[in-house]
Amino acid sequence: MTLDILCKVVDNFGDIGVVYRLARALSDAPDAPRIRLIVDDLAAFNLLEPAVDPSRAVQSIRGWTLLSWAGPDGSTNGAYEAAYNEDPAIAVIECFACGRPDWLEKMLFDAADGRTKTIVNLEYLTAEPYADEFHRMPSLTRSRAVRKYIFMPGFTAATGGLILDGAFMAALRRYAEPATRTEFRRELTARVGFDADGLEANYWAVVFGYERDYGRVVRDLAEFHRGRPVLAIVASGKSDACFIAAWERAERPFPVCRLPFLRQEAWDEVLCAADFLVVRGEDSMARAALSGKPFLWHAYPQEGAHQMVKVRALLDRMRPHFGADEFSAVEDAFLAFNDRLADGVGVCGEERILPLMRLESGFRSFSAGLMANGNLGFNLMTFLREIV
Amino acid sequence: MLVTSQLRVGSIFKVGTDVLVVQRMLGQKGGRNGMVTKMRVKNLLTGGTSDLGLDSGEKFDEVDLDLHNMKLSYIDGEMYVFLDQETFEQYELTKDDLGDNASYITPEDDFDVEITFYEGKPVGVVLPIAVDRTITYCEPGIKGDTSGKSTKPATLDSGFVVQVPLFCDIGTKIKLDTRDGSFVERVK
Repeated sequence: MTLDILCKVVDNFGDIGVVYRLARALSDAPDAPRIRLIVDDLAAFNLLEPAVDPSRAVQSIRGWTLLSWAGPDGSTNGAYEAAYNEDPAIAVIECFACGRPDWLEKMLFDAADGRTKTIVNLEYLTAEPYADEFHRMPSLTRSRAVRKYIFMPGFTAATGGLILDGAFMAALRRYAEPATRTEFRRELTARVGFDADGLEANYWAVVFGYERDYGRVVRDLAEFHRGRPVLAIVASGKSDACFIAAWERAERPFPVCRLPFLRQEAWDEVLCAADFLVVRGEDSMARAALSGKPFLWHAYPQEGAHQMVKVRALLDRMRPHFGADEFSAVEDAFLAFNDRLADGVGVCGEERILPLMRLESGFRSFSAGLMANGNLGFNLMTFLREIV
Repeated sequence: MLVTSQLRVGSIFKVGTDVLVVQRMLGQKGGRNGMVTKMRVKNLLTGGTSDLGLDSGEKFDEVDLDLHNMKLSYIDGEMYVFLDQETFEQYELTKDDLGDNASYITPEDDFDVEITFYEGKPVGVVLPIAVDRTITYCEPGIKGDTSGKSTKPATLDSGFVVQVPLFCDIGTKIKLDTRDGSFVERVK
């Protein structure tokens, strides 16, 4: 069984990151399919997977065939033809409705080819109730010979679930052990050139968000630090300068370790080995939720503050796992942190992360519920077996 | 070619040799690369209906259709009878043929609609993008709330229920977007 997985990179790593994780999860499946990845931005992919050569239109990595979205040029015609003549895909996974390259479109809609083809649009992750409704829904193309369906990731058993790739799950298990966690922390800080002597046992708070004022977050971490020492692990990206500015204004109340850009699997290890997570993006949010650790999601700010719909939907999924008082703290923190008016004149109150940092059982219960929904990779394979 | 974002109730398009008409928009949600639209379509060849989710990038072949300007003459139970404004011939469409578009028109309307003909048979109606309707029932209006952010249900003279801003009252004439049933403005 061969699958084509299509990816068009819209933002930096949101799309390709999920596709890369999905390919690894599918490869973990008991009857792992052969995978052809068709990606438009090989340079972005290279940053996640250094084995990718951005200059090569056809290559093999991790046992997958990787093809450039641009399609065959004079020198690679034979390779493309051989790939499809000898091993046609049983389904095309079109990630996030990214469309299809012209050369593949011609093959799929070739009237002379009597075979029925299947496209599955893997949509992006949302906790909104429509994920249940749209999951596995039939869709359409312009040809009856090319069937199409929608497959929704999500937070309920009525969706395809979340991707539980083997590397992430192994990291979770590995760093649940204090000794291996401490060893990893020591190794990580040494790798990034941070003198962490004795700080491996601190409370590690990862910060990976969007631009905003992190003053309140720094004050809460400083307050927590007075009871238990904190080490803030500040990821490279949109939030590091803002966080460091707030930390400097507060006169560096706790130590900070700044991370360079990390490959996906290395980033997963950091999330799994930390104690508290401030994360942005759907995939890191999913990792944080699966980790069972207290976390705060910084949703991408959208026109008309539409991100609040997504945040409230996530909170609705989390609510059953917390007591009423505990959930009130979670809700207050998520809403205040994400309402973009919160940086204004106190319209939405102040986010308090301190209560979140002390709520462990609710986050663990939420994680267990998500795990029970199964691995999206396996759920997708089951769905494909049903429809193809 | 028609792309998904151009489809609305009454749109007719081809899938292979099948001819489909959009009967009802069942919701639209924001995917990462555009909207995913859930809609009910009817196959004009088989009469079967199905609910589908279409992402915004999909393209469909258009169908050769004839369009005739008509006015709704009267409604007889489930049958909507239209009068051709040039030939004065009458054509019948069922409420099912009209789909959700039946919610926006009454025999009292003075605007024209376009009746679509496929292979000589009337198969659907294309409405103006905006139509004016009068509210026949809603909770009393709240003066001063002109933000439009808070809404309440209102029954229209066509029998359709839509969401309107709180300042609307019974007898208020409003402009509606027929693509999604949304309130556009109060008609003065």
